[in-house]
Amino acid sequence: MALRQELPSDIVNTPIRKRVTDLDHAGGDTGAMQVFASLRDGNVVLDGPVGCHVMPAVAVINYTDSIPYLQNVTCSELSENEVTIAGTLGALKEKVARADAPGRQVFIVSTPMSELIGAAWTTLDEDVKGSPLFFNAQSLDDDEWHARDRALLFLWQNREHFVRPADAPRKRPAGKSVNIIGPTYGCFNSYSDIAELKRLLAGMGAQINLIYPFEAHSYDTPALADATATIVMYKEFGKSLARELGRPVFDAPFGLEDTTAFLRGLGHALDLEAEADAFIALEKKTTLAAWQDIWRSTHSDFFANSPIAIVAPPSYKDGLERYLGGELGLPISYSAYRTGPQSAPSEAVREALANASPSPMLIFGSINERMIVAQEKLPSRFYQVSFPGAVVRRATGTPFVGYAGAVWLLQTVCEVLFDTLFANLPTSYAPPQQTEKATAEIMRDGHGIAADGSKGQNAVVTWTDDAKALSEKTVKRVPFFVRVSVTKKLRAEAEKRARERGGTVDVGIVEEVVAAFAPRST
Amino acid sequence: MYGHTFVAHFYVANRPVFSPGVSSQMWAKGSVFDELAAMVQDMAEKHRPSLIPICSLCVSDTVGLPFELLPKQIGNTEIVYVPLPAYSVHTHAKAKDIVVDSLVWRLPSQRKARSGVNLIGEVFPSDPIRIDEVLRRIGSHVNTHVPGPRWADYVAMVDGSLNAPLHPFYSESVKRMKMKQGLPFVEGAPVGIAGTYAWIKSVGEALQLNPAVVESVAADERDKVKAAMADFPLSGLTFMVAGYEGHEFLLVRLLIEAGASVPYLSTSVNTNPLARTEEAWLREHGCTVLYGANFDDEIGALQHHKYDCVIGTTPLCSHAKELGIPSIYYTNAMATRSLMFAEGASDVLSLMLSTYRSKERYHKIASFFSETGVPEQTYSSWSPKIDLTEHLIANEAFVPKAPL
Repeated sequence: MALRQELPSDIVNTPIRKRVTDLDHAGGDTGAMQVFASLRDGNVVLDGPVGCHVMPAVAVINYTDSIPYLQNVTCSELSENEVTIAGTLGALKEKVARADAPGRQVFIVSTPMSELIGAAWTTLDEDVKGSPLFFNAQSLDDDEWHARDRALLFLWQNREHFVRPADAPRKRPAGKSVNIIGPTYGCFNSYSDIAELKRLLAGMGAQINLIYPFEAHSYDTPALADATATIVMYKEFGKSLARELGRPVFDAPFGLEDTTAFLRGLGHALDLEAEADAFIALEKKTTLAAWQDIWRSTHSDFFANSPIAIVAPPSYKDGLERYLGGELGLPISYSAYRTGPQSAPSEAVREALANASPSPMLIFGSINERMIVAQEKLPSRFYQVSFPGAVVRRATGTPFVGYAGAVWLLQTVCEVLFDTLFANLPTSYAPPQQTEKATAEIMRDGHGIAADGSKGQNAVVTWTDDAKALSEKTVKRVPFFVRVSVTKKLRAEAEKRARERGGTVDVGIVEEVVAAFAPRST
Repeated sequence: MYGHTFVAHFYVANRPVFSPGVSSQMWAKGSVFDELAAMVQDMAEKHRPSLIPICSLCVSDTVGLPFELLPKQIGNTEIVYVPLPAYSVHTHAKAKDIVVDSLVWRLPSQRKARSGVNLIGEVFPSDPIRIDEVLRRIGSHVNTHVPGPRWADYVAMVDGSLNAPLHPFYSESVKRMKMKQGLPFVEGAPVGIAGTYAWIKSVGEALQLNPAVVESVAADERDKVKAAMADFPLSGLTFMVAGYEGHEFLLVRLLIEAGASVPYLSTSVNTNPLARTEEAWLREHGCTVLYGANFDDEIGALQHHKYDCVIGTTPLCSHAKELGIPSIYYTNAMATRSLMFAEGASDVLSLMLSTYRSKERYHKIASFFSETGVPEQTYSSWSPKIDLTEHLIANEAFVPKAPL
């Protein structure tokens, strides 16, 4: 449910396993950087080796957030001299001095390297407001999500440290308002999700106090206290700050039930109950009219036979499972957390997806699942719902949360259904098929009864037992609603080849056909 | 580690990346190396690959894991340690040299009977085939090409009689092969008018091939490049080039021969003995090479001096596009093109010309996003910029066109 009376236990790290295949989450330094750099006046200096900011703040950010590079992130550029002889403080001081521009708040973030050699920032002016702040990212142990949670709490604990410029206007909400905690950089689909939350809040007449840290300055931090309620966008981080704020907490809602409860709950907390109900009623006639139409169409008839798999961080994994599985009724053939204490290692995900029968029609995941689909030659379609993996998600019209998100996800599932259907339809390369023989010729060539003592050559082709078994096994792996098409295609192709070779369909022919017509994965 | 995996899966290969997990506790207990060793053993037994390279990054290199205790072979699998800590290996080019060097070091001695040329350096997939065609005409051939996807590509190096580092940054690899096995090498690459001629000639000399045949083929290929380049005149245009891969040297050569002005080549790689000839050629043609450049420094120059086209890194290009200057990202644009011989020259130069010719589009979009209707940088990075062009003008190394 959207309203939680009690917050669950602390955010816990993804366990560090002895062996890692295709690491799927960043370290604490990256998570902390993504929080501080999201602040409009935040400058981040990573205390680490030459170019250590390039991966997170240039290469990766360009493929998660489509930003060419984060201009407010640099590093202390440690080289061999600093690491082995001179110590790191000199190099760090120089870069901090460059970063400490007027109107900017500098955050120094430790990296695995600086933590390993025990480097730390010490300064005489740590009591001076607006001076650089040092954050220990605990990168050797913490994952990006835990670090984001700690970094947000750190900002709140240092709220009196930040300096509001004299000319910065201070807008206090006139009445009851709400904070949104999250997103930061590197949160999948956040641009659309935040747009949908804004739309919902505007629709029910709720005021937004702060969208933190993404649309805030460091000096806005004390103003977090001005709101009446808190929306925490992600289960992965932000709860520690929300707890400190001590206001009722709402999760970002997935699907119709969630969103309705979310709006009613917020309406109650903000004294906007009538407005929330009126908005819900209006949405049913507008945004959700599309949802109702799709639901009433034949599209939804296929849902019960179209299994899906979901591998994502907790918010999206749980949200998609609740909505697509719970509300729409798509069978969930496999689901796993990508990060967090219960996360599944890549090998386990691979094994589960490869052996699922029937194979999921659609696999929601990251590049890791995309690779599994390709490498294991699964008949499943892939849809990206998580990082890692290069993607562009900057258009604001593709939300997962809220009513608009419910419509968009429903539309996406239907599109994949149609796509799968088309991919499995028997196609004739050069229609219409031309006949090569006249009837008399067919009759003459087809006469084989005397020759082999059994059937005529135009008769139904015989299948060997193991060919039949392989055929059945193959067909069982494809989604239920295209099995007719696949069976038809498999039979036609196999028998064509058998006739050409003047024999029965054996297992070799079936293998050939399967290899030639296996759906190309993504 | 996450960044490496992310980028590798996007750019490099649909292939898993393995690592031992690391936490402060595991470092403290010293269990990381044992796990690494066990993991390598399991991988070798289970997958039986030709090669397991172990790339050590900053933390593991600082801790000083005893990599020398790893077996050199497990069954048929070679286990090779490749040290790549960022605090001492600052550039891509250097890292590639270290990788090739580490692998080459594992090879047995050069064979007595050897022939053909070992190409070293990342090039467009069809380039080795074209080079092979030309070499056959002068009486030799391409023996192997590294970096390549198979271990056998490296093993084949022992059969070659000449190394040809096509980028000037495989210095450690070729020096070591020269010292250890007496294998000679030639500098440069068959790029541009003078470059194509010079490269074919020096291969001919090094292999003591028939001088008359070599001269005739070299002159023929030179003339073909010249004819191809005539279709893409760049005279009157000023290009800014910033790269970090090594083959930016070759690109600048082509641009200059096509008539463009390239006041400087900014490269993140450091000065290198193999680059001296190339650098001298560029200097003669009005281009100063700035080694170990910080790309942030170029952003200042963009605002104050007139450039017609920019080929550089993501940050540099993003600023250039904001100012309405046609620009393309070095790696993505160049990695998909050949530079060599006539075909390569026309391919790259046509890209350059078409990029420049789309300046109206860049200008229109930049104007739309500016408040004044004139392209401007709407926001700028907070770190101070050193204007590299100013620096060159001060040293009388560059006469700029009229300021913006």
